[in-house]
Amino acid sequence: MLVQLPGGWNPLLGRLALDQIPYDNPILAPLFVAVVVGTILLFGLITYYRKWGYLWKEWLTTVDHKKLGVMYIIIGLVMLFRGFIDGLMIRTQQVWANGPHSSGVFGALHGYLTPFHFGQVYSAHGLIMILLAATPLLVGFMNIIVPIQIGARDMAYPYLNALGLWITAAAAVLIMISLFVGDFAHNGWFGYAPIFELQYSPGVGVDYWIWTLQLTALGTTLGGINLLVTIIKMRAPGMTWFRLPIFVWTSLSANIIALTSFPALQVALGLVAADRYLGSHFFTAGFGGNLMLYTNLFWIWGHPEVYFVILPAFGMMSEIFPTFSEKPLFGYVTMVAASFAIAGVSWMVWLHHFFTMGAGPQVNSFFSVATMLVGIPTGVKVFNWAFTMYRGRITYSAAMLWAIGALFMLLVGGMTGMMLAIPAINYMVHNSVFVIAHFHSMLLVIVYAIFGSVIFWFPKVFGFRLDEYWAKVMFWLFTAGSALVFVPMYMLGFMGMTRRLDYVFNPAWHPYLEVMEVGIAVYCLSVLAFVVLLYVSIRDRVKNRAGADAWGTARSLEWLAHSPVPFYNFAVTPHVNARDELAWRREHGMDALEPERYVDIHMPSNTGMALYIGALTFVLGFGLTWRIWWLSLLSLAAIILLMIIRSFRGDDGYIITGAELERMEKEALRNRAQADGKYVSGGRGQVAGTAIAYGRNGASMGGDPFNSSRDGI
Amino acid sequence: MSHGHSDPVQHPEVQMSSVRGYLSGFLISVLLMLAATYMSATHAFPPFGLLMVITVCAAIATIAQTYFLLHIDTAEHNIWNTVSLVLFIPLFVLTIGLTWWMFSQLYLHTMPAMTGMH
Repeated sequence: MLVQLPGGWNPLLGRLALDQIPYDNPILAPLFVAVVVGTILLFGLITYYRKWGYLWKEWLTTVDHKKLGVMYIIIGLVMLFRGFIDGLMIRTQQVWANGPHSSGVFGALHGYLTPFHFGQVYSAHGLIMILLAATPLLVGFMNIIVPIQIGARDMAYPYLNALGLWITAAAAVLIMISLFVGDFAHNGWFGYAPIFELQYSPGVGVDYWIWTLQLTALGTTLGGINLLVTIIKMRAPGMTWFRLPIFVWTSLSANIIALTSFPALQVALGLVAADRYLGSHFFTAGFGGNLMLYTNLFWIWGHPEVYFVILPAFGMMSEIFPTFSEKPLFGYVTMVAASFAIAGVSWMVWLHHFFTMGAGPQVNSFFSVATMLVGIPTGVKVFNWAFTMYRGRITYSAAMLWAIGALFMLLVGGMTGMMLAIPAINYMVHNSVFVIAHFHSMLLVIVYAIFGSVIFWFPKVFGFRLDEYWAKVMFWLFTAGSALVFVPMYMLGFMGMTRRLDYVFNPAWHPYLEVMEVGIAVYCLSVLAFVVLLYVSIRDRVKNRAGADAWGTARSLEWLAHSPVPFYNFAVTPHVNARDELAWRREHGMDALEPERYVDIHMPSNTGMALYIGALTFVLGFGLTWRIWWLSLLSLAAIILLMIIRSFRGDDGYIITGAELERMEKEALRNRAQADGKYVSGGRGQVAGTAIAYGRNGASMGGDPFNSSRDGI
Repeated sequence: MSHGHSDPVQHPEVQMSSVRGYLSGFLISVLLMLAATYMSATHAFPPFGLLMVITVCAAIATIAQTYFLLHIDTAEHNIWNTVSLVLFIPLFVLTIGLTWWMFSQLYLHTMPAMTGMH
């Protein structure tokens, strides 16, 4: 033991002991009972309906990018809900614990949460929302949509894809476990030196925080590598760089940021772990450490990460606007350039998170100017979207409403961001809830884009549209909630309310806090509307069945595939002729062509290995958190062993023969004909010029996930 | 799908790796790390000199790992590695350079009496 550990430690269980279970906590204990009952019920239902085999074969061991993407999105939505409940708890505490005469229950002097518990709630809220809700949701969409948009059979490394998912899932489980075993960090989602040092945070909370972040960083990096290679190597014939849909471009730029910045986070957290586990002094004031170096290292990752999550959201908006304006995207090339400009500048602005460090006017001016530069490419994007809608035939469908909502949020968040970029203003509102309202506006851009995409791409993945009425109800409730929560928050920020208050001292702020609480209630209604939306849509799935082009005006290649997309994506890899391939084919009467002949295709096999390794990374994280050294070593050794076994065994994949493929395609086409009533049977349409619908060599021209999957992994 | 590249051993990237390359990368890194640790532990140089020597060790280790372990060079069959190298260098200069700048300015403004650190 290199550090002095307060409390007990034994070789078998590490720091784990019965008194670490908060069974006397009046909030957590009932929740724990509910979770246990719910889990037993779920397992019972799966057993009763004999679905374990289906679950194992179709989901848990799958390497299909669409199913992995769906699982990413499910994790993201569950964690979004958990993070929302944390937000609800924060709002309720602040409206309750306001003024010296406010009452207190459950051991708190004011409100219902003790300061220690409140600190954990807002730390978990931030970490969950950014890294376990927004990130998996976006990675999930990139996973599903990017390969279909570029005409690939699967991701470049299907097995690595599954590994990334299960490591992310392990991180989610680790942070959920911290609810019931031990406690979570109370140092905010990004952490401060020296409060996360062992002598100031002696519990396991910070350790949970470190290993959760490390696991998500690892999972996201693996996913990023996979997406980059997929976009570079797996494009269909004819899919040149400047024919890529904008969502692919933004995914590319976002994942370049992810790949280059996540290591900085891992290093920063590795050094925190060294301080806490090995007794080093990287971030202590004594022994030559530097407190601000942590903040610096964290935001070297933190700021690029902000753009890692916003860029795919911009890509989603760029797909939704043209579809429902019935026009091609305005300024395609500038859109690409703007995405990469944002990605590039994202590396030069991180000091704006700590202007008040006191680095002096020269440094602050440089970072202030760099920060404002981000406004130029973002402005280009906003104008491009506006011009896309200008004189278009706009349909105000639910997806379009969400995209327009995202655009409004971007304006609010962007304008306040420009204000915060000025150091003089930043000194005034630093650490106030004005900053909180600003970055929530920006993150709401992502949430709006994600819900827009859920509605937009749902028929592509599941074969039926979501109910428009309930999607719109949800949109308006969500928008009302956002306005009610964040407009007062901006105002309170100007009045001087600082962030993270477990007790709000000024009774004059009570009306604002009450409006925000009402806003949270409206948010709750929108969550309810989402549940109703899912229920109604699944109930009416036959009525809402969608054809290949679910909206009738879609433009990019993914809408050429069947809805739902079969596990092999395109039976024959299409040949791409234009930037908006589907729109081009529709114009040339080629959008419903059937390939002339089918050839064998090679698919990667399912594997449980990714699930095992993911589970072991959870065990490793848990062991390290509680300092159970034998368990950590054992799980680490097992992970390495499994990786070696997997790389020697490889994957031979399996073949779908041309005949089988033809049978499946015929059936899919029959369904499709019922759904949208148009498809041309056999042969080529009358197309002038040198247009090609499908390459002559059939499937061999396009992506073969199998070959590349053997290369590296 | 009998492509020419279906045998992974034939890939140029795989051809580049050898036991000798990996071992030399590993040994160089370990030796440099041990040397740096030893020098810090025994205070072999005055603080500023130590800082410089450790920085040089780290730089050599970085180059050795980039070349021997990651195979990042400018060979033609490795074009994407070259691209990543071209992308990486400005980022490296930017992050290290701006960090150095902001902290030297910070020290200038907050701890003017402290000598030997910069």
